[in-house]
Amino acid sequence: MKATIAQYYPGDSLLHRLDPRAKFIAVSALAVALFVRDSFAGLVVYAAAAALAYALSGVPLVWFWRAFRPLLWLVALTFVAQVIFAPGEPFFSYGFVHLSWRGLELAAFLSLRLVVLVLVGSVLTLTTPSIALTDGLAWLGRPLRRLRVPTDELALMVTIALRFIPTLLVELDTIMRAQRARGADFRRGGLRERSRSLVPVLVPLFVLSFRRADELALAMEARCYRPGAARTRLHPLRAGWADAALLVATAAVIAAGLLV
Amino acid sequence: MSGREAAGGAAPDTPGRAAADGMVLTCRDVSFSYEEARAPIPALRDVSFELGAGGSLALMGASGSGKSTLLQVVRGLDAPEAGAVLLDGAGLADARYGALQREVGLVFQAPELQLFAATARDDVAFGPRRLGWPEEQVTPAVDDALDLVGLPAARFAARHPYTLSGGEQRRLALAGVLAMRPRLLLLDEPFVSLDPSTRRQLAGILERLKAAGVTLLLATHDADLAWALCDELLVLREGRVVAAGAWDFSPAAGRLLAVNRLREPFLVDLWRRLGRDPQRAPRTAAEAAEALA
Repeated sequence: MKATIAQYYPGDSLLHRLDPRAKFIAVSALAVALFVRDSFAGLVVYAAAAALAYALSGVPLVWFWRAFRPLLWLVALTFVAQVIFAPGEPFFSYGFVHLSWRGLELAAFLSLRLVVLVLVGSVLTLTTPSIALTDGLAWLGRPLRRLRVPTDELALMVTIALRFIPTLLVELDTIMRAQRARGADFRRGGLRERSRSLVPVLVPLFVLSFRRADELALAMEARCYRPGAARTRLHPLRAGWADAALLVATAAVIAAGLLV
Repeated sequence: MSGREAAGGAAPDTPGRAAADGMVLTCRDVSFSYEEARAPIPALRDVSFELGAGGSLALMGASGSGKSTLLQVVRGLDAPEAGAVLLDGAGLADARYGALQREVGLVFQAPELQLFAATARDDVAFGPRRLGWPEEQVTPAVDDALDLVGLPAARFAARHPYTLSGGEQRRLALAGVLAMRPRLLLLDEPFVSLDPSTRRQLAGILERLKAAGVTLLLATHDADLAWALCDELLVLREGRVVAAGAWDFSPAAGRLLAVNRLREPFLVDLWRRLGRDPQRAPRTAAEAAEALA
């Protein structure tokens, strides 16, 4: 069992070493540009930039495929919906289905846009550990603290939640194995039977999670964690020339995409 | 296969266990690796051994040596990549294999973390009910299992599992496996984090199962309990068998134990220091007292 969403690929490429804030700003800006620009030429420029960034990250292509696979049906659905329902002069009609060249073009465009979007997002999550990512987000959210939004606490919550997803998956696996060893079968039966068969798995998982949350809170208190207190960091975020270069390059790519 | 068929051999009509009905376990060149993102991690490499009916084998080795993996492969939760696990001589291709697998009980590490039902009775009955036993067979099986682990049904059956003490929860979880009347019992570090009195109780339960003829495969770091309970020893190192068979306390065997972060049982060490033959060391304090008197 593996979680592929927001997975980090350890490495030492240029992209791995960039400041998470710069990467986050670049990726967000590129994502917005992707949606603002609606021409094939612009899309191709952004796709090329995203592919180049992915190549620079040194992450094997199979990792992108893993992140993309769960979204495949969404892309397929978008494509089919566009082909069927898009306006345009139909060259083929059957019932409510009207195929037009314009529809096919639109479908291809929107699907490609989704693929590029996932590619851009993967470059960020594959090259940035989740802790660095939340640290960066907390820094970017700082202005909100004037509105009494507890940004550091929120960032910590997200970090802890992400940190425990793999742990929970391992525990889930162990509990399912134990109940399988006692004769449980999670694959057989109708929906009702299957959801009932989850009780012996979910009850221990929840009990374990609550206990762990309790212990974690105590351990954090014992190590002097106080909500609202100013934190120092072991690895303070430091932006350098490379990060500035990334932002300039991103701006150039966005401009190029808008102008072609 | 229907549950009723499975129950045929597993639930004798008479309550209590017939003697000497242990299962024979044979592992032949069993290999297994865990799939990882970058490269598979081998956990078992060409593991071969045989454990006779009613025999008892201590499975030892440093943390990460493959003990837990071996137990799960034997129980059929993971399929070996190569080699075969034979139960009473039957392999995966054999029609009896599914039914035989259901007669293998596996007690996980910290099994009390897997309790889920609202009463002790329902939790213990989970396995037998999943096997499709009729309710009139489930009830005596549950009562027997609760009795065997020292949680008599009259006092404990209606209790909520989470209101029991840690030691009681561990024994309840064991009862949940014993209620399925296993002929081969696999235990993964059953003594970890128990207080001394519960450890003694649990060792007593395993003694009784052994006396009843159940085949035992016990993964543990505790040399004293392994020596007291098991006739044979299997040492794993990085997934390979480095020692198998009868206990051996020659100097070479002692070095082997040390390399694998294990030590000799206390009573064996004592016997050596007393100038006696360590190979004939007593298994329990009572035996030692008798021999020294």
